[in-house]
Amino acid sequence: MSAHAATAEGENYLNWQKGIWSWITSTDHKRIGLMYLFSLVTFFIIGGMAALVMRLELAQPGAQFLDPNQYNVMFTLHGAIMIFLFIVPGIPAVLGNFLLPLMIGAQDVAFPRLNLMSYYVYLLGAVMALIALLNPIDTGWTFYAPYSMQTATGVTLMTAAAFVLGFSSILTGLNFIVTVHKLRCPGMTWHRMPVFVWATYATAVIQTLATPVVGMTLVLLLVERYFGIGVFDPKLGGDPVLFEHLFWFYSHPVVYIMVLPAFGIVGEIIPVFSRKPLFGYHMVCYATLGIAVVGFLVWAHHMFVAGISDGSAMYFSIITFGVAIPTAIKVFNWVSTMYKGSISLTTPMLYAMAFVFLFMIAGTTGIYLATLAVDVFYHDTYFVVAHFHYTIQGGAVIGLIAGLHFWFPKITGKMYNEHVSKVAFLLVFVGFNLTFLPQFVLGMEGMPRRYFDYLPQFAPMHELSTIGAFINGFGYTFALVNLLWSWAFGKRKAEKNPYDSLSLEWKCDSPPIHLNFETVPTVDDYPYAYGTPVEGGGH
Amino acid sequence: MFRYLPEQASEVAPRIDWLHNLITDISVFFTVVICGAMLYFAFRYRKRDGVDHETPQIRGSNLLEVIWTVVPTIICCYIAYYGVMIYKDMVAFKKDAVVINAVGRQWAWDFEYENGKKTNNEFAVPVGKPVKLILSSTDVLHSFFIPAMRVKKDAVPGMFTSLSFTPVKTGEYTSFCTEYCGKDHSAMLATLKVLPEAEYERWLNDRTDELLAAAMSPVELGKKLYAEKGCNACHSLDGAKIIGPSFLKLYGQERECESGNTFTADEEYLRDSILNPRHEIVKGYPAQLMPVFEGQLDEREVKGLVAFIRSLDGSAPVVEEVAQEEEVAVVDPSTLSPEERGKWIYENKLCITCHTLDGSRLVGPSFKNAYGRQGKLADGSDYEANDEYITESLRNPGAKVVEGYAPAMPPYGAGQLSDDDIAGLIAWMKTVK
Repeated sequence: MSAHAATAEGENYLNWQKGIWSWITSTDHKRIGLMYLFSLVTFFIIGGMAALVMRLELAQPGAQFLDPNQYNVMFTLHGAIMIFLFIVPGIPAVLGNFLLPLMIGAQDVAFPRLNLMSYYVYLLGAVMALIALLNPIDTGWTFYAPYSMQTATGVTLMTAAAFVLGFSSILTGLNFIVTVHKLRCPGMTWHRMPVFVWATYATAVIQTLATPVVGMTLVLLLVERYFGIGVFDPKLGGDPVLFEHLFWFYSHPVVYIMVLPAFGIVGEIIPVFSRKPLFGYHMVCYATLGIAVVGFLVWAHHMFVAGISDGSAMYFSIITFGVAIPTAIKVFNWVSTMYKGSISLTTPMLYAMAFVFLFMIAGTTGIYLATLAVDVFYHDTYFVVAHFHYTIQGGAVIGLIAGLHFWFPKITGKMYNEHVSKVAFLLVFVGFNLTFLPQFVLGMEGMPRRYFDYLPQFAPMHELSTIGAFINGFGYTFALVNLLWSWAFGKRKAEKNPYDSLSLEWKCDSPPIHLNFETVPTVDDYPYAYGTPVEGGGH
Repeated sequence: MFRYLPEQASEVAPRIDWLHNLITDISVFFTVVICGAMLYFAFRYRKRDGVDHETPQIRGSNLLEVIWTVVPTIICCYIAYYGVMIYKDMVAFKKDAVVINAVGRQWAWDFEYENGKKTNNEFAVPVGKPVKLILSSTDVLHSFFIPAMRVKKDAVPGMFTSLSFTPVKTGEYTSFCTEYCGKDHSAMLATLKVLPEAEYERWLNDRTDELLAAAMSPVELGKKLYAEKGCNACHSLDGAKIIGPSFLKLYGQERECESGNTFTADEEYLRDSILNPRHEIVKGYPAQLMPVFEGQLDEREVKGLVAFIRSLDGSAPVVEEVAQEEEVAVVDPSTLSPEERGKWIYENKLCITCHTLDGSRLVGPSFKNAYGRQGKLADGSDYEANDEYITESLRNPGAKVVEGYAPAMPPYGAGQLSDDDIAGLIAWMKTVK
């Protein structure tokens, strides 16, 4: 890579080419990241609306304004859109695309045109999914056979959509793996890479290895549906439990696709605002890889009561505890980073700290579900719903929002309104906990999930949860409007490096020029060497 | 802290709850310590006056990393071990178990005992003896979950699965379907009755219901169901409008619905109205009130109800006949103690059709813990269910309706219930907990 011709004053990736055509055909990783961002936010809003409709229906026992079929369609819509169109592409597609090359001192990803193609494959898959979902489908996002064979025909199209979306995921993963291996700038050794790069790398490995299983499942579904060869449907001699195995073999690792990058974001934010090195950097990186590997071996903990043998239930229970340990290591390291720091409670830092708290709850409630005898009680209750939302919304979504605030100056060249963003943070935090803490109680009381109606004993907690959901939704709206408004009308221009970060992405302009760096950067230490060197400060 | 698990009604429940509560205590401890430390650091080391102070470049500590790898590992091993050991006991083969077949279908459970007794959405087991349910499904995945017993297992079409538990307490418990199975997944509940041994034997060998039902003509079956399923709470046989339309001379009438469609009340219309009553509501009647009977009635039962309604063409005095049947009881309630008298009234004066004793909601509020209950009325004012309120609710039920309930209850004048009857009813209600 050689330095390219000097860029004109004031020119950056947002304005160096103009017009819609220059955006939709752009191979610039930063522009592609933004295109993903706007697509994802759109789907997040649709999925969120579906969630609010569900919560409104569940506010009180009995039918409010939906019938059971409409409710079932609503939770399928919410689950499928949020999972497949929003949070699986999620952080890697938006912030991974934008930041990965910047953080390792590269001009772009390894295959820029493939990157653009990934986006359009994603868009095609999204359109297919929407057509399938509006059919409508009422199977839940898990599409369990044989119900999914008997109900709406949209399921085949939806699986086809998941297959196409999967390709986008695989291509992005492949692109990132090659980028990290081949395009690091001089001096950027593996042990000098930011933890967000480590997390994105580990995610890319999972994307590339787990996603092909969706393709296999689709082929088997098609063979069954059109050739009548029994694979999953017992009427044809198939086995519905096999479908669950294949589904979770992909869908469990997917949870780590969603949440590992959020770990990376938190690992970037805490050191900067504590003015301290990330505590135990090496352990944090290895823990990331550890979670990625163990994540492949635990899928059947979703199936303890599904009719698998007692022996495999015991095996999967024990292995699942293997996820708890690297996760615990990360949490200890994040908190230790703050020790003796100089801490600024900026909005990204507040989100990062909220993440630690929410993830403690997500992680410890995961222990109940890993424990075989206890999970028998909790499986398919609201406890699982709450646990899942603490990991994915409390983890991945809060992580994404933390990251969007943190890198907002770099992405847009503007500063956001700090006061408004803190109010939005408070609404999100309070609303989120008010939505999902009561759902843990519901689970303890034995309330099953995916219920259109419930016994009166469950009513108080459902009502609280509904109130929380609306506060939460209002908080997200507030945060989003604040960011968009600050971008469009904000007066405060961002400096190159407003937080005095040592990471490479802050060495280029805000916003960066088209090819990121004027000259090829070099590094001689990891990006967390904050503070005054002391004796016995570790390696 | 955070003890919300349901009552422990099986042998294994206390052990599961012990492990569960241990996890809770460990989790709360670590969450408080870690998040407490985080908040403490954020306060103690906060940046002051907008200027960063000097910080030490501490990159890590191998000792600490070892400690916080090893300690969680030990805790996890301990919990995982007990999770597996308790599970082993839960699924262990027990030779003298009562074996019951439970078959899931959209959206009901059918039970069959070893002596051939068959029940639907309700089953009984003896207290203190191990029970094994053999689960299967005729259509899609279902799952059988009894919270009080701490057991759950999927019913998978094409294979047998099973779950075992030993009930230790008599009483009625609800089971839920916990694998999503389509439209009425949330209505797929069943009742488990845990009975004393002798009562269980009597129950098991009492096949009269089945035999009678099998021998009945469709009209007789329909008439029986009319009372049993609570149709009589809302549909009269004498032309009076209670909540729903009267069944008298209903068959063959033209009905205009809220949607503007017009139907003839023929077999198909009646069938649809019983199974999916929210489909088409006849003008002038409340929507959403009638329960959905899809999955609750089998083909023969629906035919019976339709035949019964068809038979009510006004040519025979059915009303008196049904009424008489209810009066047939040989008991003279005035000879009973107040509590027994109250219970007799509950069972014989139709209270039972709308008010449950187990806390679940039918048309009216459950009587479980009803005495002394406080809450809001439909007009927003407060009430307390004391003697005075209950008396007024019987004599003039429309006056003070509890919020969220329909003003559906018929008034009971002095001719139907004497003051002593009401005193008995109240005395008995105090005992319903």
